[in-house]
Amino acid sequence: MDPVHAPGVYQGAANVIATLMLVLEFGMLRQALIRDQIRLYAAQSALISVLAIVIAADRGLPDLYALAALSAALKVVAVPLVVRRLLGRTGHDEAPGVAGSYTFGVANTVLGSIGLAALGYFCFGALGIHSPVAPAAALAIAGAMVLVAFGLMIVRRDVASQAVGFFSLENAISLAALVVAAGLPLILETAFLFDLLVAVVVFAMLMRAHHARTESLSTADLTRLRG
Amino acid sequence: MSAALPILVIQLLQVLTVAVAAPGLTGVIARMEARLQGRAGPRLLQPYYDLAKLFRKEALAPEGAGWFFLAAPVVAVAAYLTVPLLIPVLTTYGLPLGYMGDILGGGFMLSLASFLVAAAALESGGPYAQLGSSRAKTFSAITEPVVLFVVFTVALLTGTDLPYALAATVRSSAGQIVRPAHLLASAALFMVILAETGRIPVETHTGTNEFGMIDEARPFEHSGPYFALLKWGSELKQLILYTILANVFLAPWGLASTQQATSVLLAIVALLAKATAIGAVVAVIDSSFAKLRLFKITEFVAGAFLLAVLGVFTLYLGGG
Repeated sequence: MDPVHAPGVYQGAANVIATLMLVLEFGMLRQALIRDQIRLYAAQSALISVLAIVIAADRGLPDLYALAALSAALKVVAVPLVVRRLLGRTGHDEAPGVAGSYTFGVANTVLGSIGLAALGYFCFGALGIHSPVAPAAALAIAGAMVLVAFGLMIVRRDVASQAVGFFSLENAISLAALVVAAGLPLILETAFLFDLLVAVVVFAMLMRAHHARTESLSTADLTRLRG
Repeated sequence: MSAALPILVIQLLQVLTVAVAAPGLTGVIARMEARLQGRAGPRLLQPYYDLAKLFRKEALAPEGAGWFFLAAPVVAVAAYLTVPLLIPVLTTYGLPLGYMGDILGGGFMLSLASFLVAAAALESGGPYAQLGSSRAKTFSAITEPVVLFVVFTVALLTGTDLPYALAATVRSSAGQIVRPAHLLASAALFMVILAETGRIPVETHTGTNEFGMIDEARPFEHSGPYFALLKWGSELKQLILYTILANVFLAPWGLASTQQATSVLLAIVALLAKATAIGAVVAVIDSSFAKLRLFKITEFVAGAFLLAVLGVFTLYLGGG
């Protein structure tokens, strides 16, 4: 690869948006409070809509405008609202058991996730998938994001952060889908979005049931076996 | 058509611009910060008056401090004044002494100066000066890897590690500007600059609270002309770092591409404008964020490290 060669403005902009999403994923990873995590999730979801609009405008795919609007309505507005409502019902200012639910320290978590991101970059980059609509680097970034989101769900020991991690995992997969299959029929893309709604409902049930049983969202209480 | 300046004069002008404008930049930032906080603020030229006053004062050294204590400020300023020879301050083309060293060479000069100041603070025997130098060295040990990764990004982007080459690459096309690697490296460098120049969120620049001090505590035991040199040195370092950020990474435009006197003059004006713009951003950050607690600074630097590493990944593994 020629080191000086730049991929062009469109590819660069798409890559920058994808990179910003990855940076926000890291932000969610290290953010202690759930309301900040939800805010970052909303920002990340807004970015994927922006990316869809950029691709739609540059590659002439009008379907993607509809997808961007739908995804923004769902992921920037509805999901954060629902999760915030649910947490508001716990009757505390900040949901109990979320802050400080790290398994490791913040610095170790970030360093470990950098390793995960490298693995994601390497594996997806090595696939050598080239798409006519979006740059291949964005796919590698999506791969890194999937792994970091998994890492987030593993290192945080509370239901709410794990839910946010799962939702952002869906964002990462949407990004990968945009890169490899931007021309996918709209109906399929929408179906995937509604999958997310199912996940939201399931996580909502989980959060409420867990909070009703243990008065906390922390999963640390679940390690002890109870008869 | 104006007269062409000899190349040596331009080279000298690079150093002179930085040397003369550095205290002024500190004055401008202090003034903007004061205005943002609703105060009248000091005069713009206050840092020059401070330096003039200190240069006229008597110098005292603590008992037991040797020649090193007095020599360090002089050598540190000399090291700072060497760096403008290596980076594109006024011209797009490399000046004869510009290829003495690459980015790493400039980095070595900056860390040599910082090491000398820290060692002189240790020699003083004063507890606050020692605390400052110990903290400064601790934190520079964690900002160093960030700078290293920024240099890796530059090397991957240009195939060299000459600051002139990166500036030319950024100028070459819009595609080079929106590359994630370039933007991530610039952001990481900006965060390192905030840490290295002792700004919020790492340190209060004009605080008198010794417990939070890092860079500001080091010259506690120096006085008179030596203290003036240390103050001037930190102002020089600030302008040099801003110049690297502006003229190599963010906005390498407005530099002189010929030896004409007018274009060199314009380049000086452009540099001052760019440095003031960065200063304005820094002043806004200074007035809108709280200082981090000392043990949280590692997390701030870890954020910068993350950006720099992602820059290298995107470029090397992702091909972006």
